[in-house]
Amino acid sequence: MTRPRRDPRAERAAIQVAAGPRPRFDRSARAAGGRPRRDPRPERAGQRVPGASRPRYDLSQVVPAQALRGEVAVAAEARQPAAAKILVVEDPAFLVAVVPDAAGGRLSPHDRQVLGAARVLAGREGGILVVSVGPCEACGPAGADRHLALGEVGTDPDERAARVAAALAVASPRHVLFPESLDGGDLARRVAVRMGVPLFDNAEVVAAGGLVRPARGRRVEQRAAPGLLASVAPDAVADYAGPPREARPLAHDLPPAAEPASTILSVARIPADPATVPLSLAEFVASAGNGIRDLDTFRQLVAALHATPGASRVLCDAGLMPRHTQVGASGTVLAATCYFALGISGAPQHLQGVAGCEHVVAVNTDLHAAMIERAGLAIVQDAQAVMPALLRLLAREKQEAGEGS
Amino acid sequence: MRIAVLLSAGRHPVSGAAVLPRLEAQAIRIAAGLGTPVGLHAGPDAAAVADALGQGLSRIAHVALPEGADPVPVLAASLRAMAPDLVLAGRRGQGGDESGIVPYALAAALGLPLIADVVAVAPGEAAGTLRLDQSLGRGALRRVVVRGPVVATVHPDAPAPLAYAFGQARRGVIEPVAAIVPAGPAAAPAAVEERPYRRRPKLVKGAPTGGSAAERLKAATGEAGAAASGRLLVDPDPDEAAREILAYLRGIGVLAPPSPRPNP
Ligand SMILES: Cc1cc2nc3c(=O)[nH]c(=O)nc-3n(C[C@H](O)[C@H](O)[C@H](O)COP(=O)(O)OP(=O)(O)OC[C@H]3O[C@@H](n4cnc5c(N)ncnc54)[C@H](O)[C@@H]3O)c2cc1C
Repeated sequence: MTRPRRDPRAERAAIQVAAGPRPRFDRSARAAGGRPRRDPRPERAGQRVPGASRPRYDLSQVVPAQALRGEVAVAAEARQPAAAKILVVEDPAFLVAVVPDAAGGRLSPHDRQVLGAARVLAGREGGILVVSVGPCEACGPAGADRHLALGEVGTDPDERAARVAAALAVASPRHVLFPESLDGGDLARRVAVRMGVPLFDNAEVVAAGGLVRPARGRRVEQRAAPGLLASVAPDAVADYAGPPREARPLAHDLPPAAEPASTILSVARIPADPATVPLSLAEFVASAGNGIRDLDTFRQLVAALHATPGASRVLCDAGLMPRHTQVGASGTVLAATCYFALGISGAPQHLQGVAGCEHVVAVNTDLHAAMIERAGLAIVQDAQAVMPALLRLLAREKQEAGEGS
Repeated sequence: MRIAVLLSAGRHPVSGAAVLPRLEAQAIRIAAGLGTPVGLHAGPDAAAVADALGQGLSRIAHVALPEGADPVPVLAASLRAMAPDLVLAGRRGQGGDESGIVPYALAAALGLPLIADVVAVAPGEAAGTLRLDQSLGRGALRRVVVRGPVVATVHPDAPAPLAYAFGQARRGVIEPVAAIVPAGPAAAPAAVEERPYRRRPKLVKGAPTGGSAAERLKAATGEAGAAASGRLLVDPDPDEAAREILAYLRGIGVLAPPSPRPNP
């Protein structure tokens, strides 16, 4: 058997690219015979796992070079919609119900964690049923397979519990999870008493094998197999991270609430008054340090920003600010969302009080102050000049809004 | 106004010594502002709640109950006999199971409404009504006006307890009360397994679930959060700085946007 004789000149002429004064050859075209020429670079690019910020490669997958040519982008694009495809559980083997707080019709971060916990219990075969009182948006992406929206009820929490208990009796889920929040924990206990079923409250570990809750001042933990009712502690279980689910709305034919007249005469929500709320509960704290000399302007600014006033120890020791406004190790440890530090150096004792704050804004003349380093928005400028500027800007905005309306 | 404060034999969370739970001391303070409260304890030993006398109670009714028995039927019977206008309890126990179910079971047994997590109670405008302030967290309140006898649980944000007064503690009396109904059988031991508590890592907010260890560490130490993406403005114009600050505060949602303000 003889191989056909190769003619390298003719082969080269066949792959010559037409354009240009210099001869150029396209060697990626498949040679007439023999092995295809490998190009390691696109092969490597084809193995790259999309999404991660650091490059990650899936070496188990060997992408043929010719398939890569011009098709890498298509493959990556094809992968994205596949991930976003809505997962449908047509006939769930059992249901795990979640009763979210859903204040204002939106899932809270805690509610999402409870949905994550429900997915752990439901596994692959089970379905998650969200039972919400009133509407509730975006349950599907959070991991719900079914959604049962009960009609709005009045202000009586007992009425709410009765509705939820009735809906649960109809849906007969295998497990029911509540968030262990103020309202969620309240509802869970009412439902448990109404149904006469024990509640496994404040579960910190949720697994199909068992739930774990702390007891006796966190000296022991109790483990039990998942029962009917349980409530999940905040920040204990991760959110659902899988593909979105359908959250198919379920119809219900529950009779309208037939509770006896409620003894609750009126319910009113009183928002927190930032000027009087205790520092440890405040959401937004504006704080003055030794760099502030003009405390009157500071007080005006605090009022204009609707913040709660705070201070460093130096000002409290000097009697310029009341002692109960002191932030730090020997003062109050904050749980605020935002801390606005004016003229504070950020001593370790002070920073201890701010450790739990999510956002920090600092104004300081010293670029190397620890507070500047800690801040999400750091401004190296004289606080004495920034405070009046802020007041001016707020006043102007208010005036414009007044004119506009 | 007749007020009953439910007292439990608590344990100190750190030392394990018998103490009056702080929530119940706070409940006594709320009750003392409204009238003369009476304490109610069901348990084997009244000495466990004697501290409550020094915190502002002058009388405690004690129903003897064997260890581990279900207190709800006994408490419900005693409360029915006392017929108080307000029953106060802590939102959770301390040192036991800490499930907080007893007030709910009691309210159901008595057929009374229950208002959870109150921080203040005052008489309402109409006779026979009560105004209760429920905590919603972060200092926000829900003000509920209720008619007639009500059970309320106390939230930790309620005013701090009164100072312990030794003289008062000596003057106060603990009255043994005969159980009106036989104590229910000890609750069937639920199938729980107990072990020493093991601390578990809290979820790190914003941590990438599938990220690398380095990414998770960054999220945990806060390097990836606001601090890492932190903006530094050196010597900006004060007005420019003010604009930046307001934009930042509005971006994180702690400051209301300027335009449509309901109040002029
Ligand atoms: C046992 C112990 C416990 C303590 N507990 C606490 C505590 O709980 N809370 C607490 O706060 N402290 C506490 N301290 C004190 C702490 O160590 C610091 O001394 C204190 O926090 C410093 O306060 P300051 O940042 O306001 O003042 P300084 O350290 O004097 O800082 C002033 C800052 O303002 C800046 N500045 C000056 N002029 C201006 C201007 N015009 N515009 C803008 N910036 C300006 C300066 O650059 C400087 O960074 C404690 C100390 C000890 C020993």
